[in-house]
Amino acid sequence: MFLSAAAAIEELVPEGTGLLAIGGMHMHNNPMDLVRELVRRRRVIRRMLTSPSASLAADLLIGAGLVEEVATAYIGFEHLGLAPAYRRAAETGSIKVLELCEAAIVHGFYAGAGGLPFTALPQGLELSDVSTANPEHFHTVTDPFTGERVLVAAALRPDVALIHALSADEQGNVFFAGAHFTDRLMAMAAKTVIVQVERMVGVGERVAHAAESVLPGFLVSAVVVAPSGCLPTASHGAYGYDEPALRAYLKLARTEEGFAEYLRLNGMTAAGVTA
Amino acid sequence: MIAAVDYSTAELMATVMARQLRPREVAIMGAVSALPQAACRLAQLTGAPGLWFIAGGSGAVNPHLDPLVASSCDERLLDADAVLSLPDVILIEGRGDLIDVFFAGGLQIDARGNCNLGPVGPWRQPTLRGPGGVGLPFVARAGRVVIYSMSHDRRTFVEHVDFVSGPGFQSGQSRLPGGGPSLIVTPLCTMDFDPDTHRARLATLHPGVSVDQVLDATGFAPIVPAKVEATPLPTPEELSILRRMDRTGLLNPGAAR
Repeated sequence: MFLSAAAAIEELVPEGTGLLAIGGMHMHNNPMDLVRELVRRRRVIRRMLTSPSASLAADLLIGAGLVEEVATAYIGFEHLGLAPAYRRAAETGSIKVLELCEAAIVHGFYAGAGGLPFTALPQGLELSDVSTANPEHFHTVTDPFTGERVLVAAALRPDVALIHALSADEQGNVFFAGAHFTDRLMAMAAKTVIVQVERMVGVGERVAHAAESVLPGFLVSAVVVAPSGCLPTASHGAYGYDEPALRAYLKLARTEEGFAEYLRLNGMTAAGVTA
Repeated sequence: MIAAVDYSTAELMATVMARQLRPREVAIMGAVSALPQAACRLAQLTGAPGLWFIAGGSGAVNPHLDPLVASSCDERLLDADAVLSLPDVILIEGRGDLIDVFFAGGLQIDARGNCNLGPVGPWRQPTLRGPGGVGLPFVARAGRVVIYSMSHDRRTFVEHVDFVSGPGFQSGQSRLPGGGPSLIVTPLCTMDFDPDTHRARLATLHPGVSVDQVLDATGFAPIVPAKVEATPLPTPEELSILRRMDRTGLLNPGAAR
């Protein structure tokens, strides 16, 4: 249940993982210590699925050349700029992009979590090019109740989900602070769930949490205690994002050489692998 | 003519957007949305008391914006009247009868109000890979869509977007279940949409901006009415409200304190 980041990745994320989901939203709650370990171990991911809005975690894995296909609705850095590695990979055609929207992701997770074979989407969503561009993920069927045409999307059932939360207890119950974004839902849809936390839960803290802020331990495969492990992204309940460090990444990652330098400077080379 | 009160372009745009909102409406916005958030808070305190707004991925309902923050998922947004989980926000965006106003934007915005935040150029190997549209497909279901952009140039404003992230009007009969785009707000002007042709139409010019300047900066030909009004200026009261929440100068770097 309680593992180091190195052991969690080694034992629970096999080479060539079919569908790896990464939690957090924008530059908040990215499970960076787990992601840095994936980079160190150079784990190849067949398809990476992001939350509705991904940032550094996704861009880093793409820049490291570990992602064959990315399923996403957004990878960027909001007011700080576009995602440099994602841009380079998509513009040179070295990565396949499965363009999704937040509805396909969240309703896909509901389907995955609930055992539904697929999910129907609201009328009007067929007017965007998201579904047109990705006929493998979206279909149009006849609504058996009304006879109208309806857009449907595949269920999302990640093989592995990497998420972050504030704390955990000895049973692996996981507690979120601030917003839990789509991470709790993502975890409920995934077969294997690795949760990076800031710390163990404090005495008396548990009762302060509403039901929606807890992920029970039977849905959690491993907990990795990683203080400050989201930096340079924010950890709700603990710290904000480190804007200078994010800007430094964006500057270096503009070129492949700079990206490699970022990995060296941040201990993400094979030399950083521990047993 | 120079206004007696000094203001930034973003502050002017915020006051324009605030005046689009009515009491007790429900508005929503996505990533990089400090500007529409400030507009909504301003509207609550001026012309639209009782307005509700949902601040992007944070799920915050009526964040107090004390202070205004840059990221749409900042924890400080949760200092709010209420908070929804993000899956709940995305769930109820689908209902189609709850969201009155959707604030949208794009790397490309076209003559019929379609927005693109995805690939610019060929889909499979784009010349510019945009971040992605997140929830923009939902604009199809909103009561009306207010489009904003901090860039007004020919790369941004095009006849047809290369990829439709947020559906606007199509060339023929509108198939939108919602009301569609109602206004575009840029650093130069505002444009509304001709009710018959659904094509963008110059509505107001910001102070000091000419019709030719807008036409030069726009990659499609908007409808230009015989007479184009001037965009109303921000009032001192509006600027004072904006600057109380915008303590780091997100809308006006010169006014930061």
